[in-house]
Amino acid sequence: MAHTRTRPRPLSPEQVLALVGEPEPMVKNKIIDHIDEQYHRFIAHSPFLTMATSDAAGNTDCSPRGDYPGFVKVLDAHTLAIPDRPGNRIADSFRNLAENDGIGLLFLIPGMRETLRVNGRAYPTDEPEVLARLQAEGRTPRLAIVVRVEQAYAHCGRALVRSRLWDPASRALAEEMPTPGEMLTAQLSLDIDPRVIDEGLEEAYRKLY
Amino acid sequence: MQRTLLERVEPLARDVVSLVLRGAEGPLAPWEPGAHVDLRLPNWLTRQYSLCGDPADRETYRVAVRHERLSRGGSEYVHRFLRAGRPLEVSLPRNNFPLLPAPEYLFLAGGIGITPLLPMLRAAVGAGTPCSLVYAGGSAASMPFLEEVRSLAGDRVDILATGERGRPDLARHAAALGPDTLVYCCGPAPMLRAAEAVFPAGRLHVERFRPEARGFAPDAPFEVECARSGDTLRVPADESLLDVLRHAGHAVPSSCREGVCGSCEITVLDGEPEHRDELGAPAGRMYPCVSRALSPRLVVDL
Repeated sequence: MAHTRTRPRPLSPEQVLALVGEPEPMVKNKIIDHIDEQYHRFIAHSPFLTMATSDAAGNTDCSPRGDYPGFVKVLDAHTLAIPDRPGNRIADSFRNLAENDGIGLLFLIPGMRETLRVNGRAYPTDEPEVLARLQAEGRTPRLAIVVRVEQAYAHCGRALVRSRLWDPASRALAEEMPTPGEMLTAQLSLDIDPRVIDEGLEEAYRKLY
Repeated sequence: MQRTLLERVEPLARDVVSLVLRGAEGPLAPWEPGAHVDLRLPNWLTRQYSLCGDPADRETYRVAVRHERLSRGGSEYVHRFLRAGRPLEVSLPRNNFPLLPAPEYLFLAGGIGITPLLPMLRAAVGAGTPCSLVYAGGSAASMPFLEEVRSLAGDRVDILATGERGRPDLARHAAALGPDTLVYCCGPAPMLRAAEAVFPAGRLHVERFRPEARGFAPDAPFEVECARSGDTLRVPADESLLDVLRHAGHAVPSSCREGVCGSCEITVLDGEPEHRDELGAPAGRMYPCVSRALSPRLVVDL
């Protein structure tokens, strides 16, 4: 059965402020405008991030990026480089960045509850000295995203504590999910064996670079 | 893999630190001058470093690491983030650069290339074999082990800060080379090229940090038959033999993926490999991370 379409009532910014209050001064002060040694260490140990971009009209997209820890390089205290690898849905991010260079990143470290948020401006590059630093498994990416950092701050770990994200027992949730092939055949009403899709995906996952 | 504890991280020179690794399960595997180990870093990267300590010391290994300006994540990690006291996994030593017996040696070191040569120098001096060292680097402040080589070999060491005195005159050393002297050279690519231009090939042994840029025929597809498992695999033009073997489930170890370290060595039973490695594969062996095939089909012992 399809879900009924709903639109819960929206709040004005004033109403929101009245409900949650101003942020604590300490929370405000922890936002810095560069990558310091602590945040550099965080990025050097992070194998995964989400990247949010939006186009000129405000259409927004959030995509995952992952590789070995430290796959995002800190070029200097104000500049990051993110490699473009196959399967990253690069087209969406690059199309957005061409219209709107704003970018929001959330870095995760497995086992760590706090996350690192980095916001700034971004553009694509093919600068050889940058790409050389982004090699993985002997392959050099064709493109990288350069991020000029405007804000960086560690986000407290409550969301990850509540979500039990790193609790091994939480992995049982995935067992309740259909396979990607089953989802796709159901969504598109395809008359094929879902295992064909799943095996194709497994094959693709073996070739990561 | 050997389990060790990172005992010390010490600055040796500008942008160079040494790591002292203590065996966590008794004595470490023995090694000979010229050997290197793979270090498994906490960021999942594996990097090769020459052992530059004393082979007689079975309790610890020592390596020296330069912070590369264009680090892909290995040397930057070692310099900025690696902390003493943590456990580290280290491979068994491998030696692609062994010191062969000779009546006299000339050692040529460029920068961090001193690391495999230092134990060679110590061994030659200890055995009373005549030897000399030419050690070039950008500036004295950036050159590790200056005191150590001076105290080992005194006036047989020529230390050149190229920023002040220019590059070493290898042609002069070649002209003065004794008839049976062996030359061991480790350093940046321009130094190796200069050495290869003036010393007789049969008497010059080199070790590279990174592969030399060379031209090869365009990559073409070929077939590989795995004799033991019986499967035949197609290697497309845009994939390495190593990747194809691994995707097919063959557990071929690998590390540098540049034909430098030797960890992916496999045995070739038939067909003609196109060797693209920097090591000089022994007869019947190849390094599938970079090497391909001249014949349409290879048979390998997997």
